[in-house]
Amino acid sequence: MRALRRWWPLVGPSLLVTAVALGGQFLPLSTQLQVRSVLVTTVIVVALYVFVGNSGVISFGQVSFVAVGAFAAGLAAAPADVKPTTFPKLIPFLAELEIGNIESLVLAAAVGGLFAFIVGIPLMRLSGLSAGIATFAVLIITNNVLRNWEAIGPGAKTLSLIPQTTFFIQATTGLLIVMAVAYVYQTSRYGRRLRATREDAAAAQSSGIDVHRERLWAFTLSGVLGGFAGGLLVHQLGSITTQQVFLDLAFITLAMLVVGGIGSLWGAVVGALMIAGLNAFLAEAQRGITIGSFDLELPGGTRLLTLGVVMLVVVLFKPTGLTGSRELTWPFSRSRFPQPASPSEPLGSSPGGGAGRSEVEGVDPSATEQ
Amino acid sequence: MTDERRPATMLRAAAVSRSFAGVVALDEVTLELDRHEVVGLIGPNGAGKSTLVNVMTGFDRPTAGRVVLAGDDITRWPPHRRGRAGLARTFQHARSFAGLSVRENIEVSALGVGVTTAMARERADRLLDLLGLSSIEGVPASILPHGAERLLGVARALATEPHFVLMDEPAAGLNEAEVPAFAEVVRSVRDDHDAGVLLIDHNMALVMAVSDRVHVLDEGRTIAEGTPDEVRIDAAVGSAYFGRGAADAADE
Repeated sequence: MRALRRWWPLVGPSLLVTAVALGGQFLPLSTQLQVRSVLVTTVIVVALYVFVGNSGVISFGQVSFVAVGAFAAGLAAAPADVKPTTFPKLIPFLAELEIGNIESLVLAAAVGGLFAFIVGIPLMRLSGLSAGIATFAVLIITNNVLRNWEAIGPGAKTLSLIPQTTFFIQATTGLLIVMAVAYVYQTSRYGRRLRATREDAAAAQSSGIDVHRERLWAFTLSGVLGGFAGGLLVHQLGSITTQQVFLDLAFITLAMLVVGGIGSLWGAVVGALMIAGLNAFLAEAQRGITIGSFDLELPGGTRLLTLGVVMLVVVLFKPTGLTGSRELTWPFSRSRFPQPASPSEPLGSSPGGGAGRSEVEGVDPSATEQ
Repeated sequence: MTDERRPATMLRAAAVSRSFAGVVALDEVTLELDRHEVVGLIGPNGAGKSTLVNVMTGFDRPTAGRVVLAGDDITRWPPHRRGRAGLARTFQHARSFAGLSVRENIEVSALGVGVTTAMARERADRLLDLLGLSSIEGVPASILPHGAERLLGVARALATEPHFVLMDEPAAGLNEAEVPAFAEVVRSVRDDHDAGVLLIDHNMALVMAVSDRVHVLDEGRTIAEGTPDEVRIDAAVGSAYFGRGAADAADE
């Protein structure tokens, strides 16, 4: 029971994710596809959370790692017999490569992590607005390199014929793995040190915490998970262009994290499931759906309008997100924080208590104002 | 407290100067802190006390002079490296990790210097007990009353098992009843934790009561140092605290 309580912040969200995934299995095929897409989006948001949530540093750049992961996996897994003709400028190594599903996902994670590590070395010295702008710049650079350097990327063309392997099992398992990694990290000493820098960087430094190094760890881990998410995404879609892993995705995933609650895994999962779910539902509804005997067809534009309003309302009325940036707590315990018997009680009650020294010599409180 | 219990390790600011855009905050200040003593650092507002602590702990760089820890020149070391080398500090406004509980605040400070999770938990157990914070270990630091927050600052510093603790106005915000107890805490840092203490505070009664030596700064310069009794009767100190006119007369 104690172990369950300790792991509940991971187990609880995992149960929710599993329920959503299983529930999706009983719905029509088009909805199943949407559920899969929601799960993969949640992977991206959790990857984003690992850096942004734990460090408190804003980043628009994590989608870069999703992009390099997606194209690494996509290019490596696409059939070798069509690549040289579709992408004549591709370097021979990539053109001839054709790897399996698992290898492809591992490659995506590795490339994402390596890229994040290299980019992170200079970037992790920044905080606040400059960190936001610098990571945004990374996103733009990444997108342009992938779109224009045809030796390593698809160029402006669509990369297609990628084996579609991210079905129910792979999407769900992938998300559960990423959530577990995120939770183990945030409760490890690395994660806890980083969270201390988020609360107060100066105080953390004076406790021996190297802010740059802790941030770089998280940024790299976030890159690994983001790259992996890109791999899942490309194997879900079967084809991809560079524009699908660019600004729209970067902003919507960040918005999902903020709506859910930027500082907790629970917030990342809730925000992603909710906004991505709503997004998918509205997209379907714009195309026209039938619920029971009721036909619903929303006018074009309803989807983005509604999403915008929902985000606005949440951020205005609950700035710390739907979850208050708190982890899911075990629902069957009495109180989360034992309150102090009387918080206003002077600290003198038993300070040096252990040493049994209660008498104080030499200090005359009345001389304070000297 | 300068006995021969163990080889003396020393923290030293050697002829440290610091100026900000032409304004001299510190002017060739030399201050030594032994591992077995409490040194009080006093002076009027703007005398350079906090600047000196910042220079010693790496949050600021001196324009001239050196900081030496146990023989190593640490002038250019970043704060976290000094923290790991046994130099801890508390901050003027406590600066706790607001979102973390009292226990987590202490544990993460121990984790900061590289100990294992189990060791951090053990240190937190000991310090919570020692400082009387056990009953509120689960409370978030953000809602602590002043007194408990100051104690938490000390607990966090001690969690790094430091050789030296630099305390920047730790008694500010304590009520009079809490000050004597805090004096005991300062002594216990020296006696039970083998850490030298540099204590900055405006509460003269506290500083005079717990310090083995007192160092007085005014306008960035050392104007007196010695035992509390010596400093108390020093004319320059009197003028720095009680009037500029007297100081001018003494200079001539």
